[in-house]
Amino acid sequence: MTSISTDSLLRWPARFNEIPKEVFHRPDIYELELERIFGGPDWQMVAHRAELSAPGDYKTARLGEIPILLVHGDDGVIRVFANACTHRGVHLATCPRGHAASLQCPYHRWEFALDGALIGAPGSADFPSDFRKEDYALRPIRSAEFLGIVFVTASAVTPPLEEWLDDTKPYIAKVLKGDGRLRFLGYQKAVYDTNWKSYSDNEGYHGPLLHAAFRMLRFPKADGVQFMTKNAHKVNSAQFPAVPHTGFLKDYSLLETYDKTCSPQNTIISLFPLSIIAHNVESISLRYAFPLGPAQTEVHYAYFGHQDDDEGMIRHRIRQGSNLAGPSGFITLEDGAVFNRLQIGSHTSGNVAFQKGVKAGEPITAPCLLDKGDEAGNLVRWERYRTLMGFDRD
Amino acid sequence: MIDAGTLTTLDELQNRYARALGLRDMRAWADCFDDPGSYVCTVRENEDNDLGIAMMMDDSSDRIQDRVKYVTEVWKGTFEDYHCRHFVHRTRCGIEDDGLIAVESNLLVAYTDMKGRSGVLAVGIYHDRIALKAGAARFRAKRVILDTTVTPRYLVYPL
Repeated sequence: MTSISTDSLLRWPARFNEIPKEVFHRPDIYELELERIFGGPDWQMVAHRAELSAPGDYKTARLGEIPILLVHGDDGVIRVFANACTHRGVHLATCPRGHAASLQCPYHRWEFALDGALIGAPGSADFPSDFRKEDYALRPIRSAEFLGIVFVTASAVTPPLEEWLDDTKPYIAKVLKGDGRLRFLGYQKAVYDTNWKSYSDNEGYHGPLLHAAFRMLRFPKADGVQFMTKNAHKVNSAQFPAVPHTGFLKDYSLLETYDKTCSPQNTIISLFPLSIIAHNVESISLRYAFPLGPAQTEVHYAYFGHQDDDEGMIRHRIRQGSNLAGPSGFITLEDGAVFNRLQIGSHTSGNVAFQKGVKAGEPITAPCLLDKGDEAGNLVRWERYRTLMGFDRD
Repeated sequence: MIDAGTLTTLDELQNRYARALGLRDMRAWADCFDDPGSYVCTVRENEDNDLGIAMMMDDSSDRIQDRVKYVTEVWKGTFEDYHCRHFVHRTRCGIEDDGLIAVESNLLVAYTDMKGRSGVLAVGIYHDRIALKAGAARFRAKRVILDTTVTPRYLVYPL
């Protein structure tokens, strides 16, 4: 936290279910979010080690707007660095993913080992006498793994990862097939013309209403649970009977499990502030989201199988991942449209007001259990946001 | 060597395909495919790394018919509509051992939103395998490989 006063920035509504629309588009608020949310005491999900599975593999990403570099070292450790040469700050790795024996800056050929150590600096005989290579290793970013998922944080006070994940852990483990030994299957990437908070503000209320496929396909009633953890993470997990073949579609396999005797599962784990882990029928995805200013959010949907899957299962996961729940997904395309429309609508005056599952005059405190179709759980996230940002209620 | 008449037939198919998408006529789009037929739209980042995930994957005629239904019925009234114009330039063409004609083309798709603002939606290539039957051409397999990894808006219509 810095000493910047937020009193004059924004007053938060007194009613617990209301959110001021201006937080979705004001550039000054976005700038403060980079410091207090993306530089704050939470973890951001940026990769699974299956995406950089061999020593020398690397991946680039962002933490807020800070370019970062994940490198799989010769010792098997995935380390995360600020993606800039420690000499003049040149952006070091420019590709989304790659493989290298070492990392070299093209400007003056400073070279870094996979563990970040500076191993080459041409002309160093003419550097100041107190120059030490040890002082110019790549700048480390704090990182941690859970079942191979790599998280980063810019804050030294962020709790240990497993403590921060709290009650989501068994659900994440279930999505990652218990041990997280995943096989990477590819990406879908999209930019939504929306603030990152709108992207991460989806809930259970909208599902059967926005997504006509559920109605048209006569999706059976799901049995499941929705809850919020004390750290403002949301788990919405359900299983449902097989979708009846009514003839609406010619091919129902996208909605079916590979093993027809198993019930289809749908689990969405939303980690504060904007990481999502999803299991849709047989499709396993990690959704990394990156704010691009106050009015755009880039989302990378990364899809996985398990290392023990047979090729038939891999094929099934690829078919579902490519068609079901991504940016052009059969079930989910409409989300993108709503994200964009929320952004335009946020320029009207007043507050957003959550209703479904809200009890008059009662704030929602976490941990808490909710009805699967409620939207009230998002208010736990908003309360964490308000607190981190330092906005006082009226 | 492919004769001029066959090339004209192939180009007519590409024109018919581009026109169908320009008109947002999904049934006309589906009618460009043979039975069996397939349509896959992926990105170079996946293609070059042998990663199977695509942006859209209709690996059968049934799936192509289902995509028509998604766009015209399931998603109707929910998405922000747009026009798109396909500019296709044939760069390579040859007859394969199975008698299908393999065609490679450059692709540029411009889009215009409903407020009239235009931009480039995607750049890439088509890898097509085309069947000729009774003088008519249809896609047995159409594979779109996009250089554009992140399109400026979500894709509703096939490319």
